[in-house]
Amino acid sequence: MSSFNLTVNGATEAVDAADDTPLLWVLRDTLALVGTKYGCGIGSCGACTVLVNGIAVKSCSLPLKNVGSAKITTIEGLARDGKLTALQQAWVDLDVAQCGYCQSGQIMCATALLASKSKPTDDDIDGAMSGNFCRCATYTRIRQAIHAAAGSS
Amino acid sequence: MSPITSSPSVTLDRRQFIKVSAIAGGGLLVGTYLGFGATEASAQAATPETTSFAPNAFIRIFPNGAVSLIAPNSEMGQGAKTALPLIIAEELDVAWASVTVTQGDLNPAYGRQFAVGSQSTVANFTPLRQAGATARALLVEAAAQTWGVPAGELTTANSEVIHAASNRRLGYGALTTKAATLPAPANVTLKDPKDFKLVGTRVPGVDAAKIATGQPLFGIDQQLPGMVYAAYVKCRTFGGKPVSANLDEVRKLPGVRDAFILDGLTGLTPGVAIVAGSTWQAFQAAGQLKVQWDLGPGVNQNSAAMAKEAEAFAQAASAVALPAGGKTVAAAYHYPFLTHATLEPQNCTAVFRKGVMELWCPTQIPGTAQGAVTQGLGIAARDIIVHVPRLGGGFGRRSVNEFALEVAAIAKRLEGTPVKLTWMREHDFAQDQYRSNGWHFFQAGVDAAGKVVDLQDAFVKMLGGPGDMNAGGFPFTAIPGSRVQSSKLNGTIPTGYWRAPGDNGNTWATQSFVDELAHATGKDPLAFTLDLLAAVPAGGGGRGGGFVPSKMVAVLKLATEKAGWGRKLPRGQGLGLALTHTNNAHVAIVAEVTVSPSGVLRINKLTAAVDAGIIVNLSSAEGQVQGAMLDGISAAWYQKITIEQGAAAQTNFAEYPQLRMVGAPPDVAVHFIKSNAAPTGLGEPGLPAAAPAVCNAIYAAMGKRIRTLPIVDTDLKWV
Repeated sequence: MSSFNLTVNGATEAVDAADDTPLLWVLRDTLALVGTKYGCGIGSCGACTVLVNGIAVKSCSLPLKNVGSAKITTIEGLARDGKLTALQQAWVDLDVAQCGYCQSGQIMCATALLASKSKPTDDDIDGAMSGNFCRCATYTRIRQAIHAAAGSS
Repeated sequence: MSPITSSPSVTLDRRQFIKVSAIAGGGLLVGTYLGFGATEASAQAATPETTSFAPNAFIRIFPNGAVSLIAPNSEMGQGAKTALPLIIAEELDVAWASVTVTQGDLNPAYGRQFAVGSQSTVANFTPLRQAGATARALLVEAAAQTWGVPAGELTTANSEVIHAASNRRLGYGALTTKAATLPAPANVTLKDPKDFKLVGTRVPGVDAAKIATGQPLFGIDQQLPGMVYAAYVKCRTFGGKPVSANLDEVRKLPGVRDAFILDGLTGLTPGVAIVAGSTWQAFQAAGQLKVQWDLGPGVNQNSAAMAKEAEAFAQAASAVALPAGGKTVAAAYHYPFLTHATLEPQNCTAVFRKGVMELWCPTQIPGTAQGAVTQGLGIAARDIIVHVPRLGGGFGRRSVNEFALEVAAIAKRLEGTPVKLTWMREHDFAQDQYRSNGWHFFQAGVDAAGKVVDLQDAFVKMLGGPGDMNAGGFPFTAIPGSRVQSSKLNGTIPTGYWRAPGDNGNTWATQSFVDELAHATGKDPLAFTLDLLAAVPAGGGGRGGGFVPSKMVAVLKLATEKAGWGRKLPRGQGLGLALTHTNNAHVAIVAEVTVSPSGVLRINKLTAAVDAGIIVNLSSAEGQVQGAMLDGISAAWYQKITIEQGAAAQTNFAEYPQLRMVGAPPDVAVHFIKSNAAPTGLGEPGLPAAAPAVCNAIYAAMGKRIRTLPIVDTDLKWV
């Protein structure tokens, strides 16, 4: 058991946990930030994607000891004062989600994409988003929502 | 019939969207949704229930005008949590923006709480319309008495009763007290579908904003004070059980509170339960578990032996009589076991207090979760509360609820302490009711004129599982004397309902073979299929009834027209078509693919035409068809569960790939036939014809026939 001071959504969180605990489980079970999802535990599905210093990272495969002072952003940390980001708003407007379980990971991944490329092409979207999958296969609308958000920003 | 088009290839720009929503009375939906939870809570706190108007179990209208509607059936992505209240709101003439939707707990007052077989809308459409219309009639009568005018002079819109003659209006909220005292009318008149204002429009899911902001919604998101976390480890072979385990060692591992074997409960698969302070600690401890297993009787089963057994069945089946001067066309098709792989692993939360078991159970059929707990633990149904959180995917997997009894057994032992059981992904792969494997050995007789005069199918699948997986239906119904001989493999691999049961594999095989026959007789597949449809007896011919040849012709013509059927394409590109009659919907799909000379498959476009009766929510209906097509393609392209030594060989997504963005076709168009017929199911019908359309397009592109799934097992190189 070790003590960590994590920076999550702008707040400092003191956490006691084993070094090898994946960030995912600290977010979900310790900090009650359950928007980040468990899907596979092997970094394959992308449902656990969070931003680490702005980069999309699969939190199921990131041990706590490697987080250090990095700034963690989860799906709960995107909206400010109840105002959704353009990407979240596009997700709602285009009714992207079906079951919805993968969508926080998809939105985090797309957030990182738009931060690095404000007007992504279809090829950019294919490249950036293919580390995540959607079991309901909502790809048509995920693509539309990313383009819509890019167009409105 | 004129088609209404909802092609997503036409990008929906935001102004258009807001215009459509505004017409539907929901232009400000998004902002409102964020406040929904608070609105409902404050409304209920401020007004005792006696002052609100609750004419039935589904509807509650508060004096401040807030409307609370119950969604009775589970939400797993198919859109029932939005569509069912929308049906009530349509007949109630309520402003959708003032509606709060609550997912119903298990409650006999809510009717048939089954989210299986694409039945949620089918079963609830008329009862919920009647519920809404009854409430509306009472509000109208309350206004009529208030104003002293005949009810027949009143109209309703946007949560108001209107007397146009005197230009008076009263909001529903102001009428609740009087309406609550009136007797319900014996009969109500339902709207003419042409007058629908909400039904048929695009309405975003009621949880859309909560999903986009990561709010707790799902079974796995449940958090209760003092909760502990459990894992439950079962034998990898089916029918196996633990004999002993290193429980004393496991109990000493970090965070572990207890570890014990569960066995001897009716309906429970025996296993080892581990209870810990976090999910991760429970999973880690499960990894340290050393169990002596009794592997059970099925340990020698494997997929390769099943294939040999299936071929033996086929050889025993009678051969088609060769028509004079004609030829026999024969082909064998095989599809493998599939796992459901809901992205949210199976889970359930429970607490046992004072003789009452309270469950938070992501299930498609909450009644069977309750039944399993009664059967296994002897707790009376009245002492079992079942809440139904959102399901992170269903696909039929959550029609079986073994996790409910597992967690209840643990919670009963830990009386007073809430327990969340989460299955590791590896356990989810290993413990499923799989989509059965299947074989079709087709033989057709073609006469000298190129007409199919006989058709025989020797069909083989795993023993057990749903009884509706027999093959048959179209095209057998088009060929007099045709026959299907079904055989079952003798084994113990559990099989069950996987999205579009039966059709998800059988339609692939039959529709691929129809395409083979078209080519064997030198006919265009569209013309050949239309000829077959013309030979289906009027008024029937489909498995389970309801197959209407004229509807199938209409969707086939619409899909092929929209897809540009008949275009000349260069080698390496092709169009393929397939159709299905599933859950009473008629569906035709055209796929356009490119196969590179080195064998790389790309799906360029999918075009679906669907007759599903009245479309309740166009947004979700279109999404269901898009997603179901891609789900069917994902499975057919990549996936198989192989049984080795009695267990599933694949343990996680690394060995069981899913379609991803890069493989998804850029253009997926869905066209609905405009209809005033009652809605059919729509969660499943988009799936079965997608894979055969793709396989037929591959054949058209480069001449290779896919007869074994997944497609990745066939080399598509053509130079």
